[in-house]
Amino acid sequence: MPYIRGDYSLVKVYIDGIEVEVPPSYTILQAVNKIGVKIPTLCYFGEIYREASCRLCLVELENGKLVPACAYPIQDNLKVYTNTPRVRMTRRVVLELILAIHRIRCQSCPRKGGFCELLKLCNEYGVEGIPVCAECPLMGNDCFLTKGIPCLGPLTVAGCNAQCIIEGNACMGCRGPVTRRDVVEEAFKLYLKYNIPMSEVLSRMKMFWSSSPFYDHLTSLFSQFSLKYQGERHG
Amino acid sequence: MSSWTLLDRCCNTCWHSIDYPCRNYIRCRIEGPLCHDVSECRDKRLRRLKEIKYGKYGFKIKVPMASCTIAAGSKEVYKAVIDEVKSRGIRADISITGCMGLCFIDPWIELIKEGMPPAIYANVKPEDIPKIINEYLNGSVSSAFALRHRTGKAKDEDKVPLLEEIPAWGKQVRWVSRNCGIVNPESLEEYIAYGGYRGLERALKMKPEEVIEEVKKAGLRGRGGAGFPTWLKWKICRDQVSDVKYVIANADEGDPGAFMNRLLAESDPFRIIEGLTIAAYAIGAKQGFIFVRVEKPLMAERLSKAVEEARKYGLLGDNILGKGFSFNIEVILSAGAFVCGEETAMIAAIEGRTSPRQRPPYPATKGLWGKPTIINNVETLAHVSLILAEGWKEFAKYGTEKSKGTKMFCVTGAVKYTGAYEVPIGTTIKTLVEEIAGGVKEGRKIKAVQIGGPSGGCIPADLLDIPIDYHTLQSAGAIMGSGGIVVIDDTSCMVDVARYFTAFTVVESCGKCIPCRVGMKILYDIMTRITEGKGTEEDLEILEKLGNIVKNASLCALGGTAPNPILSTLRYFKDEYLAHIRDKKCPAKVCRKLIEYVIDESKCIGCGTCYRICSASAITKTPQGKYRIDPKKCIRCGQCYSTCPVNAIYKR
Repeated sequence: MPYIRGDYSLVKVYIDGIEVEVPPSYTILQAVNKIGVKIPTLCYFGEIYREASCRLCLVELENGKLVPACAYPIQDNLKVYTNTPRVRMTRRVVLELILAIHRIRCQSCPRKGGFCELLKLCNEYGVEGIPVCAECPLMGNDCFLTKGIPCLGPLTVAGCNAQCIIEGNACMGCRGPVTRRDVVEEAFKLYLKYNIPMSEVLSRMKMFWSSSPFYDHLTSLFSQFSLKYQGERHG
Repeated sequence: MSSWTLLDRCCNTCWHSIDYPCRNYIRCRIEGPLCHDVSECRDKRLRRLKEIKYGKYGFKIKVPMASCTIAAGSKEVYKAVIDEVKSRGIRADISITGCMGLCFIDPWIELIKEGMPPAIYANVKPEDIPKIINEYLNGSVSSAFALRHRTGKAKDEDKVPLLEEIPAWGKQVRWVSRNCGIVNPESLEEYIAYGGYRGLERALKMKPEEVIEEVKKAGLRGRGGAGFPTWLKWKICRDQVSDVKYVIANADEGDPGAFMNRLLAESDPFRIIEGLTIAAYAIGAKQGFIFVRVEKPLMAERLSKAVEEARKYGLLGDNILGKGFSFNIEVILSAGAFVCGEETAMIAAIEGRTSPRQRPPYPATKGLWGKPTIINNVETLAHVSLILAEGWKEFAKYGTEKSKGTKMFCVTGAVKYTGAYEVPIGTTIKTLVEEIAGGVKEGRKIKAVQIGGPSGGCIPADLLDIPIDYHTLQSAGAIMGSGGIVVIDDTSCMVDVARYFTAFTVVESCGKCIPCRVGMKILYDIMTRITEGKGTEEDLEILEKLGNIVKNASLCALGGTAPNPILSTLRYFKDEYLAHIRDKKCPAKVCRKLIEYVIDESKCIGCGTCYRICSASAITKTPQGKYRIDPKKCIRCGQCYSTCPVNAIYKR
């Protein structure tokens, strides 16, 4: 039997209207990467993991179906749309769902320091729920909490690239609070750990958040946690 | 003489053996010997055929033995029949059979005597047996439920209806379930005597392409739910170049309220094996699997027994019917996960992995162990064996233009006659529910019909005129699914029903992809909130938006159909959702947090039954000697409501 050197015939695919010629063994993602269009991926890991379970790389086909780019094999004349409103909306909801089960512990996360793909995607798709603490290490900032200064970073919605902290000011919470219970609990534990008086944190929160409907919610959460962690104070 | 069966050789002229099988084996068994014209042999076979029908001594008693009838007590009935026959010395054959699908008459027995009308007795109790046998042997059928046909020789024959005259039976078209309740499911001989294996014999005389063409002409579509044309699946798989191919019978039926696959496999297992063999021949596979749910042990047992039996007589194994075609079947037990009904998850389960994978590549090109595989539903395969036996024209007679043939439906819920009914596709839901299943109980009203199990949707009562076929149901927001129909009457709350089905899919989700794992949980939490009266109108928007996203973005069909119950109830019963949210009232008075039990003091007789049964001590005695419920202490268990002898307690 002669040595088969592989099939070198190429097939045409159209990505957002751009014609690309790729080998027929490619997936949509590989074809898309060839022309430099970016599709967000989380679970995809090259040849090793392409099980399409995170559903972030969804793209729209011509027949209106949403398919994962990382696992969908291309066919001849396939028309792929990577950035339609429907695709963006679906990705956004998927991100929100991921975040809904994500244990947000940015301060103790091993990925802090620039690797948080989730944070980047959340910023790109406008999903809120990650605190500023995730962004601080990206900028190489020192943490104010370690110096005993009350900073609202652990409670404030990220997205500002930690501008105030770069400038040398502690976070004032101008972007509003993250109201998730686990985030607030994590923040509370941090304040306890660095011996920051709760009264100072609460007074800081008043500046931007006193008129927010979440302010009462936050203070009630704080009082709940202060009961819960009573014995651990300053310890 | 007694040990001789149809499957054995008639005399030494017959040279058939498993090593050198005869090509006309099946036809020879029922039409008398074909290779030699000896009247003695022919008489022998005819006599045996008659024996199968009427028993050795001209009297046969059939007792159904399927999971459903056993649950209704047919094992005790069987024992009672044996005791009675033994103690009275009656010469009779007692045989087991499958389930007819008429659940409301379980357990039933059928008495057949030559010259007498075959009589079916419904709801038999073990202590009735002597009376029934006595009556039948004395030539009377007055207490029978129905007769198969009339002979004019028994007393009171005209007073007992024929089976065809009962709408639950007469309006059906028994095509694929024709043998259910008639043949002995554990006997290959009876199956062949009632016309089995003719399809395989005919298929093996055709080319594989011709078999596919026959199925194409018949217009058979997958009966598992999605309705993909069977011939197309086969053709794609046939066209693949591969040395090894596989066929799998999907007997992993998991919908709540659907049991037609179990009924078929328990009552007529050989038909499925025959269909699977034909499918294997059509695509060129040598190995097949039957994937059975472990929660249906009898079904697995019957199928395994049938496989062994077929292998024993050379209908599985090497060189089947002398045509050089080899095929083997292995019965595989699933661990009982709902997601295993999905093709790729089933393949993963057979391989020993978990969770479905993204399609394409479809199993027909890359399936089990990377080889081309076709997966067909049990009912589809049963249809295949009949299409090949009877020809495509007989099959295509029934049904609509786009979806041909018949389909079995399990009608359960708030109907008078629950059961599995086979009707042509295109029959309206109304016919099925109101005429065949007898409609809802007196004084109630149909509110909706849930079709397709947890992946299907609810269709409201005013849309019941639509025909059941793949397209119409899809546009109405439901799917055919495997064919479970749950009838919901006005005592059920639609929000609660949707919440129940959502709870089912939340538990059964494999957890691989985000939308199904997280999205369904969030949907379930919102549904729970609404049934507790804590919902807001924003929640409805979230339900609709998130439901659609879960539907579109999920990996497999489980997630892709899981929000259907919510979306369809939102579409047709929005006012009920709004009543829960705005008025904090459950119109059907089902949702516990939104109702209150009150004692009507004018009706109360002061007996104290409710007082004694209340587990929360919420009932107190008033100075007038009546009772009163403290709504703060009441946990709404409904115990007092159901025990009150004068119905003085009502829900508010």
